[in-house]
Amino acid sequence: MTQDRNDYVESVIPPAGYDPRREQCLDFHLAEDLAAMAGADDKNFILTTVDNLFDWARLSSVWPVTFGLACCAIEMMAASATRYDIDRFGAGAFRATPRQADLMIVSGTVTAKMATRLVRIYEQMPEPKWVVAMGSCAIGGGPYFKYGYHVVKGVDFIVPVDVYIPGCPPRPEVLLDGLMRLQDKIRGRRDDAKPPKWVADYARKIPYVKR
Amino acid sequence: MSETAAGRGWGGQDVRRELHSELLEINMGPQHPATHGVLRLLVRTDGEIVHGVTAHIGYLHRCAEKIAEGCDWRQWMVYTDRFDYLAPINMNFGYAVAVERMLGVQVPERAEHIRIICAELQRIASHLIAIGTFGLDMGAWTPLLYCFREREEILNILERLTGGRMLYNYFDIGGLRFDAYDGFERDVLAFVNIMEQKIPEYDTLLSYNKIFIERTADVGVIDLATCLAYGCTGPVLRGAGVPFDCRKDDPYSIYDRFEFDIPYGEGEQGTVGDCWDRYMVRMREMYESCRIIRQAVDALPGGPVKAEDLKKLVKVPQGSLYTRTESSKGEIGYHVFADGGSKPFRTKVRSPSFSNLHVIEKVGPGMMLSDLVATVGSLDIVLGEIDR
Amino acid sequence: MEATAIHALLQSRFGDAVSDYVDGFEKGSLVAAGRVAEIAAFLRDDPALGFESLMCLTGLDWDGYDASGKGKSVDILGYDELGRPQASDRVGDGDLGVAYALYSHRHGHKHALFVRVPRAAPEVASTAAVWPTAAWHEREAWDLVGIRFAGHPDLKRILLDEDWEGHPLRKDYVMPGAWQGVPLDGRDYAACKWDESGVTLPDDVKRPDDVKQPEGSQRPEGSQRPESGNQG
Repeated sequence: MTQDRNDYVESVIPPAGYDPRREQCLDFHLAEDLAAMAGADDKNFILTTVDNLFDWARLSSVWPVTFGLACCAIEMMAASATRYDIDRFGAGAFRATPRQADLMIVSGTVTAKMATRLVRIYEQMPEPKWVVAMGSCAIGGGPYFKYGYHVVKGVDFIVPVDVYIPGCPPRPEVLLDGLMRLQDKIRGRRDDAKPPKWVADYARKIPYVKR
Repeated sequence: MSETAAGRGWGGQDVRRELHSELLEINMGPQHPATHGVLRLLVRTDGEIVHGVTAHIGYLHRCAEKIAEGCDWRQWMVYTDRFDYLAPINMNFGYAVAVERMLGVQVPERAEHIRIICAELQRIASHLIAIGTFGLDMGAWTPLLYCFREREEILNILERLTGGRMLYNYFDIGGLRFDAYDGFERDVLAFVNIMEQKIPEYDTLLSYNKIFIERTADVGVIDLATCLAYGCTGPVLRGAGVPFDCRKDDPYSIYDRFEFDIPYGEGEQGTVGDCWDRYMVRMREMYESCRIIRQAVDALPGGPVKAEDLKKLVKVPQGSLYTRTESSKGEIGYHVFADGGSKPFRTKVRSPSFSNLHVIEKVGPGMMLSDLVATVGSLDIVLGEIDR
Repeated sequence: MEATAIHALLQSRFGDAVSDYVDGFEKGSLVAAGRVAEIAAFLRDDPALGFESLMCLTGLDWDGYDASGKGKSVDILGYDELGRPQASDRVGDGDLGVAYALYSHRHGHKHALFVRVPRAAPEVASTAAVWPTAAWHEREAWDLVGIRFAGHPDLKRILLDEDWEGHPLRKDYVMPGAWQGVPLDGRDYAACKWDESGVTLPDDVKRPDDVKQPEGSQRPEGSQRPESGNQG
């Protein structure tokens, strides 16, 4: 028991090089971030490409299209409302028209009838654009897999997906995390899209809560 | 085309005659911020005047009735959650009552009380969203944020109780899946105490706001005859001036033990059955729900929360039954056909929003386009249960 | 009024069109498909009955129903675990049916009507003129079960698209593989690779060009776009 507990505590302590600011996009300093993108060590001046600058601007103001499909849309609303406030991460400007948006959060079950419209909305969005599949229905049909004659078994059959957010429905915190993973992806740091190893270990060791 | 006051301009002149143009067909939805989901309204307009509305639904048809035929009686409870995802517990309640009546199972007292506390909490949560998004449709962004503040408190309680934040799957045939946690009553009472103080705050923010009254009073009037003909139930029917509520008029569970009133529209700000009346019915129902919760918490007994003589794989005797309960949107009915086996033979869901939406094709023609948005918002539809 | 009395009243009025009294969990009458509309009008207008409210209208398929009460009805077809539609040689037989659940606000009583129609010619008289709410319920019954309603003002599919094939709530319905270029079956999950770097999906992720777009906006039959004038 004691042995287990020590393991548990050790795994929770972050490793030496871990910078919590990396996990919180808000704390990023412009110079530090751009310097990291350009691979420079010196933070006194910025030497970067226009692409990197644009990417930085894009990830800081991802505008999602107002596109609620089903249950997950309510959690998307909750994420943009009082307690979770997605605006803190620059993604709170929900646009009613796809022509002003660059992120489509597919929040809910994609049905056959909706799929054609979904593609149309996707095509109306200007490049560059990203798609987040939110919830198990959008990822792979979810609970409607076996008898869902009208349900598309995963939105990635229709449009390319950047980030998958599991859950039925995912909590708003998970949506926010998915947004940060998307920001990592825009930043070009694909490795960071995976959680650090200590986070994965921690998640594995959460003791089962007996009810 | 029906003659309504909406056809009159600000000076009282007949806008229709002065500004006649050719009919224009426009699509509202399926991706539109004011349709509350993936509803598509095909609107034929002459300028700002609506000549005809055709509702196209089915963009969220998730085959739940087909799935019912493939899984057993308990398993389908998961899918009832996802009909009205703003009030999943009310959907669970209807299905549980339907199957229990056919089985002839007596639900333990404690389970009945907890069920009613949950259902009324859920009703408040659903009405909060209805009020918030209705304000949003009317151009008032702020009330939504306040509504979500209180809703999160309800979700906190239900999450501690059930383990799920939004979709619970908590009700079971013959009772509940597990008992309430210690301190459940305390949390619920604490919330009700806060909630009863917050409702006047919403009234100040929205209900008696002059702009809001201008946008909603005398708008989208649905009279009693239309409600009955089109099968409208819930706040839409009560807004038309009838205090009809399944909790009182077709009692189920133990609602007959509690003392509460049924609010109904009286045309305070305009005509009986206008958008403001429907809105205000919801607002007053939240008070009544608080009253029910207080009584249920006071009377909460101990004991088991599951019917004991029930097998894991229930088999419902052959026959059919239509059972209706009152959800936050209106009358949710399950028409269940059983063949005596472990799977439902056919389960039809009569969803309240389905009938409530149908009436828009009747009352839509003749109103201004912006009033159409107000009317759809005041019906408080959820596409998950319309399309199922 | 008691359900037996309502049944007796209907039988004395309509004779052969009202056959059996259904005595189960819910009480009702088995009526002839062709005369539902006039029976419905009588039920609504008779002052002693006063059924001004149609609570629910259900269409169903009695194919493979086990009447013995042992619950051995036929299993429906779905997708297998890889998302392929299950096939079967069985051809459906058995009647289709409609059930009406009625309620009277005035008297507070309930009654049910049941109709059975042959599978080859499933046609029931429409009650949309009696209870306007039936219009959408009947469209749904046509859409999902495939029952035609004679005299319906606008009988077309409501939940599924107009060019959908088959009626999904029939017991012998085979799940579709695709519709208008939208894939509805699953992918080959066995071909997915899982390793340290994550999941590698097989190369069947569709591009948007594969999905056929609906031609123009879908408008109901008979409505014409204005030929001239300002069009937004």
